[in-house]
Amino acid sequence: MMAGQKKKSLVQAVGVQQLVIVGVIVILFAFFSLMSASFRKYTTIITMCSYMYYIMLMAIGVTFPLITGGVDLSIGTGLVCYSIVGSYLMRQMGLPIGIAIAVTIGMGIIFGFVNGIIVAKLNLPPFITTLCTMMIARGLGSILTNGMTGVWPMAGQPGSWCRDILKYKIGDTIYPIGMIIILVLVVIMSIVLNHTRVGRYIIAIGSNKEALKLSGVSVVRWHVMAYVISGFFAGLAAIAYACTFTSITPGTGAGLELDAIGGAIIGGTAMTGGSGSIVGTFLGVCLISLLKTGLPNIGLQANWQQIITGGILIAAVTVDMARRKK
Amino acid sequence: MKKALSLFLVLAMVVGLCSFAYADDAKSYSFEIVSKGFQSTYWQAVLKGCQAETKTINDAAGYEKVKFNMVGPDSESDIAVQVNEFESALNAKPDAIGLAALDVNALNDNIAAAKAAGIPIIGFDSGVPNAPEGAVLANASTDNYAAGAVVATNLYDKIKARIAAATAPVRIGEINQDATSESITNRGLGFIDKFIELAGADGYKVAVTGNDKYVNDSKGEKVAEADAKIIIEVHVPSQTTTELCATEAGVVLNQPDTIAIFGSNQVAAEGIITANETLNVCGSEDTQIIAVGFDSGTVIKAAVTAGTMYGAVTQSPVGIGQKLIDLLLAAAQGEAVQDTDTGCAFYTAANIGSDEIAPNLYD
Repeated sequence: MMAGQKKKSLVQAVGVQQLVIVGVIVILFAFFSLMSASFRKYTTIITMCSYMYYIMLMAIGVTFPLITGGVDLSIGTGLVCYSIVGSYLMRQMGLPIGIAIAVTIGMGIIFGFVNGIIVAKLNLPPFITTLCTMMIARGLGSILTNGMTGVWPMAGQPGSWCRDILKYKIGDTIYPIGMIIILVLVVIMSIVLNHTRVGRYIIAIGSNKEALKLSGVSVVRWHVMAYVISGFFAGLAAIAYACTFTSITPGTGAGLELDAIGGAIIGGTAMTGGSGSIVGTFLGVCLISLLKTGLPNIGLQANWQQIITGGILIAAVTVDMARRKK
Repeated sequence: MKKALSLFLVLAMVVGLCSFAYADDAKSYSFEIVSKGFQSTYWQAVLKGCQAETKTINDAAGYEKVKFNMVGPDSESDIAVQVNEFESALNAKPDAIGLAALDVNALNDNIAAAKAAGIPIIGFDSGVPNAPEGAVLANASTDNYAAGAVVATNLYDKIKARIAAATAPVRIGEINQDATSESITNRGLGFIDKFIELAGADGYKVAVTGNDKYVNDSKGEKVAEADAKIIIEVHVPSQTTTELCATEAGVVLNQPDTIAIFGSNQVAAEGIITANETLNVCGSEDTQIIAVGFDSGTVIKAAVTAGTMYGAVTQSPVGIGQKLIDLLLAAAQGEAVQDTDTGCAFYTAANIGSDEIAPNLYD
């Protein structure tokens, strides 16, 4: 009896969907390792982590608007826009990297605030609002930097410490320090979502906005906050992206947000709002990144990679829907 | 009074004639330029070439003789977007259109419509290969198939001693950002075909594996992997991003028999450099994997200078832009125009600063 209760509480604590994702990750990891010698290498895991950071940061942020029943499509092109502006400040204006990082994050917060005001105050649909700001971000990056490709410090150059934060090298071995930062952020944002007023109100906006309004809470304020959090994390993602890929091309970024949104949804965040978890988002992005690295390693061609990734997304959402109906 | 009136009429006629003459001399030309995008510094360099030549022409004329509007899709996979942009360009009724086609088949009807409307088309970058007869008057372009062959020739020279010394088959990776753009596929196939030719001359059999498009379209004899001395493994990512090019490059770089890798444009070459940051297997020594790329940009230039990337081919993007404006103006004025190969050159750490190479490199 006691053992049964303990087992049940463990499942409740972690969540059924999250446990299913962990299971799928373990099975896929074993499958890819078995099928591909190159996948089994330590460097492949480091590479997978490196390419995951920016998606993970975007996903943690976008989970908040998703829980309100909204969405933030502007984070992909926004990420590119903010990092290009950061590069422009360093390379063209000679400003130190600290200022570039501050401006990059600041731009994310401003975009998030604008999205939030339009959605919460003017009551425009989040999809349309963030689709528009997605387009604005795409154009703005090119205009502000006169169409120049952004380049962040390369290894060995002044300011390259920002790369070492994510991937630290001792001797010939690289350590994925960025994953520790991500895990710390996952814990912090889980606490924010589940144990603070901000998180509770954001969940309440997604589940019953009218009831929250009637109880005298400033819905607009907390609704805007959800988008500000998303923008802030898009700013962090911009730095992670720039430090990983160095060169950022203006006008790109559309579609990057889909991996983040997909990760959050796989992780159990409801598109209708009202529920979601940061741990789930973390696991969802891990699954997407695993597929992005594993499928090419087993020699699967591009078109099949997309079909299989899409199929797994559908399966994950179907499982979630079925679970909710129960 | 009559004299004054006559004088006034004569003056009016002279002024009128002068203004007619001026109007004829001061004819302005408007061009629409449909590029493959603005997604790399390469296209920014083409744009700069167009702007510089336009300024030169307008300064010489003393008025705005030439003006142009340049558009392009966000990605070189966005064929449908480019078709829409070409239609808009056509509707603007310009004096001539510059076109770097992503897929000529998709644009065939619109190219025919331009011809019917009497709007001359000039191809640029990779041009408009296999366009309907007489629709494209001239091209200011790089011969991408030949450019791919230039990479193969330089790479083969670098690694032929290693191939000869190898007791087991060796692997060469090729990363192409897509299998749809004609410039990319021509480069990739030019590389494969030339490499097969050079290796064949030395008595080696080459197997081509990986992406079906490149495997099927390569000209050489189809050889099974088990029978080959050299394996060319072609990878195409599911989306044209540096991240996914880097993932594909990582798969090749991780294999123990890989001795060389080629990235057929800026995104693919940067993907190889990104992948190597973790793997640290590329370099110019005989024990390392020899990486070669295409185009330039800050990251590629730094890698070539450091020797992480052995070399790359640069086109002449600024020259392409300048030549394009010249050809558009000549075509709009009804002058005869002819194809211009804007050329390419292979550069390494040894000649990156030379007069021949440096002006064609961009950040």
